[in-house]
Amino acid sequence: MIPDGQAPAAKPVKYRSQFRIYVDIMRVIQREGNEAKPTRILYGANLSHDRLVKYLEELKGLGVIQESGLDEKIYGLTQKGIEFLNDFRKVEAFAGAFGFKI
Amino acid sequence: MSGNELPAFWFFGFDSFMEFIAFAIAMAVAFQAMKGYTLARERTLLYLNISFLLLGAGLLVDGLANLIVLLSRFHRNFLYLSRVGYTINFLAELVAYLILVVVYLQQSHASGGQIAVAVLPIALLESNPFTELILIFLLVYISAQTAINYNIRKSTNSLLVFGAFVSLALAHVFFLLFTIAPIFFPFAHICQLFGFLLLLGMLFRVNQTQ
Repeated sequence: MIPDGQAPAAKPVKYRSQFRIYVDIMRVIQREGNEAKPTRILYGANLSHDRLVKYLEELKGLGVIQESGLDEKIYGLTQKGIEFLNDFRKVEAFAGAFGFKI
Repeated sequence: MSGNELPAFWFFGFDSFMEFIAFAIAMAVAFQAMKGYTLARERTLLYLNISFLLLGAGLLVDGLANLIVLLSRFHRNFLYLSRVGYTINFLAELVAYLILVVVYLQQSHASGGQIAVAVLPIALLESNPFTELILIFLLVYISAQTAINYNIRKSTNSLLVFGAFVSLALAHVFFLLFTIAPIFFPFAHICQLFGFLLLLGMLFRVNQTQ
């Protein structure tokens, strides 16, 4: 029990970098067979709706994802996006070999 | 080469050759780290790049210095180059391994006191005749960190990196023993090269990642 007037010790929160969020979104899209609905990405990448919309626009601007679908939007990786994820996997494996987290 | 005495003569030339191979591998690791930094903008990769650039530069200078001494047929006017090459290589290694130690300490959120303990050996540089001890100390710490990483990940790549740093630590143990007996000089270079070859193996595996 926490005594009156004392706050519990703050647990350090590790925020994801913007880069990490980009990668998480792209990985969800790839995991969904390169055809992911926004709701799947939202849950898979653990984002709020507003932030998801913002990041999807940014990723479209970078040319790594593309939007399709008429009634409901569907997102897929572009060739550039697939190559980026492949490169990132190599970087992750390289850094991981030394014990560095990226 | 250790600057203390001339090693086994029959090995001269091989040591430079081995150092040139190790230099090429160190540059390849540095290049991979720079590629990673360019993509992910992760500072640890930049530090890894600087660390291996320094290791490579030190190996190249030492290898070239020893080669010049060999080509001059051990002319006394050129013998000092061997000592200069060794000193530059030692300082490059010292800074390179210190960078890695600080990165590992930062990753484990070590306190300033712990970082000071790790950096303390520099203070002994002037007075300690066995400069290799400092490198051994740093390499043992890095090896321990890579062992912890292997224990967590259980991946072949992390095992290769762990093996590489253990080999490099062992190489410096042999460089230290070389001050007692010249026979340890070839063993030191073989261990050093083996360590870098393990890193090369890791690079190949990483680049095959799909």
